[in-house]
Amino acid sequence: MTRFNFDLQTGETGPLTKAPRPDMVNLPLSGQTPLLGVDDQVLNGTKVSTADNDFDGDMHAPLSGRIREITPHAMRIEVTGDDKAPASAPCTGKGDELRQWLRDRGVNTRNLYPAQTLIINAVPPEPGISIFEPLLRDYRKTLEIGLDLVKRIVEPSKLFQVVAKGNKANAFANCTVTHVTPVYPNGLDPLVIKTVTGREIIPGSRPDDISILSVKDLYLIGRAAETGRPLTETVMTIGDSNQLVVVGTPVGFLTAESGASVQPGDRVVIGGPLRGLAAVNLEQGVDKDASGLHILRRSESAAVTDNPCLGCGQCERHCPARIMPGMISRCAEFKQFRRAEAFHIHSCMECGLCAYWCKAQRPLLQYIRLAKYELALLADADKEPRTETDATDGES
Amino acid sequence: MLKPLTPILTVAVPPHIHCGRTLRRYVLDTLVALLPAAVMAVIAFGTDALRVMALSCATAVLAEAACNRLMKREQTVDDYSALVTGLLFAFLLPASAPWWLVAIGSAACIGLGKMIFGGLGGNPLSPPLVGWALCRISWPAFMDTNATMLMSDLPPPLQQLKYFGVDAVSSLDPVSLLMGHQLGGLGEIQIIALLAGGAYLLLRRHISWHIPAGFIGGLLATALIYRLLDPAAYAPPLFHLLAGGAIFGAFFLATDESSSPLGSLPALLFGIMAGAMVIVIRVYGIYPDGVPFAILLANLFTPLLDRIRPKPFGGPYSFFDEEDAR
Ligand code: SF4
Ligand code: SF4
Repeated sequence: MTRFNFDLQTGETGPLTKAPRPDMVNLPLSGQTPLLGVDDQVLNGTKVSTADNDFDGDMHAPLSGRIREITPHAMRIEVTGDDKAPASAPCTGKGDELRQWLRDRGVNTRNLYPAQTLIINAVPPEPGISIFEPLLRDYRKTLEIGLDLVKRIVEPSKLFQVVAKGNKANAFANCTVTHVTPVYPNGLDPLVIKTVTGREIIPGSRPDDISILSVKDLYLIGRAAETGRPLTETVMTIGDSNQLVVVGTPVGFLTAESGASVQPGDRVVIGGPLRGLAAVNLEQGVDKDASGLHILRRSESAAVTDNPCLGCGQCERHCPARIMPGMISRCAEFKQFRRAEAFHIHSCMECGLCAYWCKAQRPLLQYIRLAKYELALLADADKEPRTETDATDGES
Repeated sequence: MLKPLTPILTVAVPPHIHCGRTLRRYVLDTLVALLPAAVMAVIAFGTDALRVMALSCATAVLAEAACNRLMKREQTVDDYSALVTGLLFAFLLPASAPWWLVAIGSAACIGLGKMIFGGLGGNPLSPPLVGWALCRISWPAFMDTNATMLMSDLPPPLQQLKYFGVDAVSSLDPVSLLMGHQLGGLGEIQIIALLAGGAYLLLRRHISWHIPAGFIGGLLATALIYRLLDPAAYAPPLFHLLAGGAIFGAFFLATDESSSPLGSLPALLFGIMAGAMVIVIRVYGIYPDGVPFAILLANLFTPLLDRIRPKPFGGPYSFFDEEDAR
């Protein structure tokens, strides 16, 4: 296998194009409760499910058609056309009212809260994902509308835009542009926050006074405000082009449109090769977070093994969180999950570099995620009153 | 209704790509790095050296296979790591070592040095050194590279230094030491070939520079201190570096992944510590060459050194109360 290039420079990209309309969409339903049932008719923009937590956006049908099947993971809609539900009036409010309005229109509002510092992350999240480039170049107006809306919620006193060196900034008004070295993983939110503020935030936690959004977030919020229509699209890099794709488009449809053939044993990765999600089958629909599509042939993808950890320290040398992924994986391997905390598992920002470099080809990130998951369960169990027979995990 | 899933995709956790290095290739790299020294050993000591190396490697592989069988574990000999351990152990032996010594030592490397701790990656001490220490203590006469090789006209530098003082070694030319004209373990004294192997490992980023640099730096600095104290009693630093197994230890023994610290600073300290101990043992110890014991001692400090960690990103952080997080 050739050495992967971690360069985050995007170079020149073509315009944003609109992906063709699929005949069927599979809306991902995780964290959502469906509102409609099988055989219901939907229009483009009909709300089909509500989010279970209070920051995820609700889900809307991206095209018109009929619901064919609902499973816990997905809602399949047979597309018959593009008849639109009436657009709603723009929201003139601000603060929480506006936040609710956005959430109701499908926008993830997790990072929308009052904060002194607002950071616009324009660094590509992964090599080979260049969606920010055409957005910053050609969709100035939409981005500014989005930024205005965001400002009405966040009310920042300082605005930063972070850009990878060598990529065009096309900066917003009144914002400080900060450059980072164009190398993965510098585009990950925790590292971007650190570049701007010098502060390290435990990945996955939310700092009170910093809100961070990507260029794509601004674009989609801006688009929702511009059109008055709910968010049912995402922007993805597919091959060399950047496309506006309706949420739920089956990955198989996208690969076929791009002219690629998928062989048995390949991986179809939604997102980038280091952090992306492997599609279960070709029918799986893309979600709102999808930012890229990669086909990885069997021969070029990582084959993991159950080799023991050698203790070579290779993983540790590449870890941006300065922790010991090898030791954490050993803890997880032997179910000593609490011990993984002593090795600072929560500092991990899931960049995937450790497993990329592991000589023993251990599935390090998988071990880390498992341990994080088990720790969350243990922490939940801890909240309940302790009993004598409390289950313990090995060493602790 | 179950739909036919064609094509069946591979589903896995990210990252979906890998640098392409494999465990086996990694171990083979070490073998390649050891090859020049092995060839030089055969040139210097003839078929005796070949006999010891072959026997040691074969015993190591068989011992690992037997241990795996006994422990009812999957066979692991195909990762070649036992082969490398066997060769490293052979490098420490005199070419005259009797067959039973080689066999017992090599089996001890694998059994006591490695498998008892769960196999590859679990060993707290460098496996070849465990076998070496066992033999050195149990059968000192057979392990003595000088006494058993009386037929050879090569000079044994460290023994001369130990028993006859600095004057005895002042005639030894560093270049001839470098070329391997000395008595010692059959492979450990092939200095120039080992340096080439070490450079290869460094270039392939197989080992990082911290341990060898620390080791050599620590050794030279400590030797220099003694030398400055009394040039009449202590040998020059360069002599210490080129005589015996210092280079071998710095590049091949101290860098054993599992028994050396992970971080950069701990690795550097580990190297310095081992290097300094070499001189201390050579000066005060009863054994002429301090390298193996120095590294074993440093191995014991590895868990302690590994506690020197940079602050984790944004942390430390725990889900649980202070007393709970252990
Ligand atoms: S995925 Fe691995 S390398 Fe990346 S932050 Fe987590 S532990 Fe470190
Ligand atoms: S890179 Fe792999 S083998 Fe090396 S220390 Fe990390 S987990 Fe262990």
